Parts: sequence; C-alpha cells; structure tokens
Amino acid sequence: MASFDVMPDVQLYQPVELDDALNLADELGDEGWLLGGGQDTYGWLKDRAKQPRAMIDLNGIEALHGISETNDGIEIGAATTLREIIRDERVNRDYSLLVEAAGRVASPQIRNVGTLGGNLSQDTRCWYYRRGLDCYRAGGNICYANGPESMNREHAVIGASRCVAVSPSDTATALVALEATMVARSVKGERTIAAEDFFVGPDTHITQMTSLKAGEILTAVRIPAKWAGKKFYFEKVADRDVWDFALVSIAVAMSMDGDTIGDSRFVCGGVACTPHRLTNVERAVRGKSLSEESAEAVAPMASEGTKPLNYNHFKLPLMENLVRRAMRG
Amino acid sequence: MDIATYKDDVWGQEVLRGVSWDLLWLVIVAAFVAIALHAIYEAMQKRGDKPSADGERVSRHGALNRAYHWVMAASIFVLLVTGIFPIVGLEFAWLEIHWIAGIVLTVIVAAHILMSLFSGELGSMSVGPGDVKEALDGNTKPGKYSPAQKSMHAVITVLTFLVIGSGILMFLQIDTPWWDRTNSMAEGMLGLVFFIHGISTLGLVGVICLHVYFALRPEKLFYTRSMIKGWISKDELAANHDPQRWTPDETT
Repeated sequence: MASFDVMPDVQLYQPVELDDALNLADELGDEGWLLGGGQDTYGWLKDRAKQPRAMIDLNGIEALHGISETNDGIEIGAATTLREIIRDERVNRDYSLLVEAAGRVASPQIRNVGTLGGNLSQDTRCWYYRRGLDCYRAGGNICYANGPESMNREHAVIGASRCVAVSPSDTATALVALEATMVARSVKGERTIAAEDFFVGPDTHITQMTSLKAGEILTAVRIPAKWAGKKFYFEKVADRDVWDFALVSIAVAMSMDGDTIGDSRFVCGGVACTPHRLTNVERAVRGKSLSEESAEAVAPMASEGTKPLNYNHFKLPLMENLVRRAMRG
Repeated sequence: MDIATYKDDVWGQEVLRGVSWDLLWLVIVAAFVAIALHAIYEAMQKRGDKPSADGERVSRHGALNRAYHWVMAASIFVLLVTGIFPIVGLEFAWLEIHWIAGIVLTVIVAAHILMSLFSGELGSMSVGPGDVKEALDGNTKPGKYSPAQKSMHAVITVLTFLVIGSGILMFLQIDTPWWDRTNSMAEGMLGLVFFIHGISTLGLVGVICLHVYFALRPEKLFYTRSMIKGWISKDELAANHDPQRWTPDETT
C-alpha cells in the first residue's frame, strides 16, 4: 500500500458551536470523520486506508474543553488535551491514576495535541487492518492476524471473536477502573454510557471500537467521586518507554480500609479489544492486604481464561506480574 | 443493486466477499407484495362453508413430527435473528448463539431425514410431475400434502441444505470449544461460502415469510392447529383431501 505522506482532498469543517458540530455529524453520518488531536486520524488518511468525505474538527468548540467539578466528581471535556489533564491540580490530587495513564500516552509532543476523546476513540493498531486489508474489522470475512503464519505479538489473548485486535488506549483502562461515564451527544439528545460499556468487543460490533453511533460525538467524560483519592496503581509495559502502545498495561483502583482492601477495580490494557477487567482478581483481593503474600496468591488469576495466539504467550506472565506488582503496595 | 460484494484479497486480486445485504430489503418487499397479491386474490374468491373442526378426528402429524417441526422452526428463527439483526444495526453478541442454533438445526434435520427414510413419509412429500398436473386441475383433491405444500417443503429443504452446508464450512473458520480456526481456506473460496450462506439465508427469509402467511390464513389454520395438536376433523379431511389417496388413522 502506498503511503502518500500528504493529506488527501477532504472537506474540513471547523465549527465553534457544539450544535453546529452535531448537525454536521448528523448530516454526514458514516461519511464524516470526527477530528480531535488528529494523531490517529492523519495516518489513516495519508495512507488512504480510510477515505471520509469530510472531517469535523472539534478543537474549536469551547464547550468540549476543560475540566470542571460536578456534584459527584469531575467532568473532563472530550477535546481537553492529555497535557492539560496531566497538569491539572484537581485531577492530580484526586485521580492520579488518570494522570499516570495519560502521562504514558505516546510522547510529549503527541500529548500536547492529543485529546482525551481522541485517545479513547482511537482505532486499533492491528497492522493488517491499518494496512487497508479487507479483514473482519474492515467489513470483510477473514482475520489476517490469526493464522498459522500471522504476526500477532501485540494482539489479543482474551475476548477475541474472529477479530483479535486490541484496544490501544492507555486512558481507557484508567477510566474503566475509575468507573467513569462517557457523555455522548447527537442531534437527538444526550446519552451517558458507562466506560465499561463504551468500548465494544468484536463479538458485538466487529467494525467498531466504541459504542458511539454515526452522528454521535463524545463530548465529555465524568469521573465519580467514589474513587477520588483512593489507592491507585498504573503500569504500562511497552517495547519503548515513549511513543509506543502498551503490550500489557494495568490500571488499579482500590478502596482501603486501613491495610485491608475493600472494593477494587483491576483493568488490563493491551490484552483484549476492550479494557479487560480482572473480576476474579477483584473478588480475590477483597479483605486482603497489600503484601508479597497476597500478590503471590492472586497474581496467577490474572491470566485465567486467556487464549494466546502464536506469538503473544508472553502477555500472560506480563499480566500476572503486573497484578503482582500492584499488590505489593 | 448488486447481488454480490467483492474485495481485494491479500495479493491484491479481486475475489468474492459475500452476498450484498441490500438484497434483504428486496426479498422482504417481494415477499410482502406476493402476500398482498395472494390475499387480494383470495378475498375475491367465493368460498363455501368452512368445514367444521368438531366431530370425529383423524391423525395428521405424530408427536415426533410435530416436535421436529417446532424445534426446526425455533432454530431457524434464532438463526435468522442472530444472523440478520446485527446486519440491520441491532448489535449484540450473536455469533455463539448462532452456531449453537446451527448445530441444533443440523442435528434435527439429520434426524428428520433418517426418520423419514425409515417411516416411508419421504414419498408423501416428494414432488413429481403428477403434482404439476394436480396443481393445474382445480377439481383434484390432494393426498396428505397438496402440491403447494410439497413445493414449499422442497424449496425449504434445498435452502436449508445450502445454509447448513455452507454454515459448517464457516463454522470451521472460527474458534470453538472443540477446535481453533485455521484460516486455511482460500479467500475466494471463503467468499463463495459466505455468498452461498447469504443467498440461501435470503431465500429462507422470503420462503418463511410466505410459509408463516399461509399458516395464518383462515382457511389453512386447521393445518397449523394440526401441527400443534396433531389432528384434523373428518369434515376438514373430506373438504380438503382425497380419502382414496390418504387414509389417516382415527384419533381422539
């Protein structure tokens, strides 16, 4: 596939009011492309692997920017950049899990322009798919990444259904752990979606990564006070320290009662098409303390139910070790 | 409107990808137009008194045959819902339910064929040249099954064989509890399998629309009742069938 390294001819709309953007999204439907920081978009378009009729640049809409307090936590506008999140005092104080996750996204340059909405809505990195091959995810009838000779080191070890691509978003794992709610708007109104339901697997919708429908715009992310200031752990394992996607990552939120763990959320990234909750680990750690002994007891549970492909068995001990490290305290 | 869709395979060659699902709307519209035309035609016909369902009864469908029919109907219904709803935008995790229903259909069809072979029922359902003559002659009453019922059965049989055969090949291409997929089928062949599965599904959608319509028509409701309860009355037998060609057992 030729890479043109220049943008194709595409209409560009730059609305400054959300209503105008919603009308455009409604009018363009599947032929429209929502533009945040553009860090996922431009590759697709330059490679001609996606050819939308028009782009709707959301960055000029003031209502999509900023971080504000709500009655129950905070609300982050979808066009807020990752750098703004990383530097926000409130987020640092109460939701450092998100700060750590956002701080591991790509590189400083990308975090300067990349938005939270874009990071959450970005498409998978499966190179067979991104090369423009007509695979299941592109509406075809085959997965090129899951065959005897397929290169699938970065692909899913759990939750695959025909397509074995994984969710590449670092902030997604943190927001699922924090029980965030996504706010989606369309000309028909607003709907809120639990972060866990926002990301969809191939068993439900094989050509989409999120439950956003054509004409809908992710406008904000709400994080409840429930997890504010709790015990957090985030770690991302990647081939490079910067400008790389997670091979496996983990985001953990724990409610501590003294030394004892109460409610907890353990979420793995890079292992499934959606952020993957380790509910068996969450059940097992309840009532335990953060210690080497607890870590050894629950770590093997992290890889239960996994089904590695030819080249990604290494993700299983990674998952277990990340849980082990989170439990050491 | 295209019949098939195409794609470039991994070598850049254009190959068949599958059926064009735009045809779904054509099939549904065509089925409903046919139903409307038939309903208008029937409304214009003068009919005598409806035969009574009271009085003595004869057996039409044994319990096992009725069970086969309804299990088959349920599995086809589940297969159509799980196969088509996601295509028209109602998304849910459908694949596992789909192949489980497919296995149920395959087993029940195999059992039905075996039972028909050994019970001698196969002959009463087979379509022959005599059925064409009978269909054209308005005065001849049928044996157990009318030419229309035999034809409907034949069409559903062919479509079901196609959908099961292609479904088994597609089943081999996904991970199941019993095996891992191999991705071993050539892309063009895979496209052909998808096409056959899709086109036979579309055929089933159309035929099942007609089948349900005829099952619900007032003058045919006694057949539907017989598929539930097993019997028809002697009045219904005399009005619709030739007792010389079909002599069912009496029942209570």
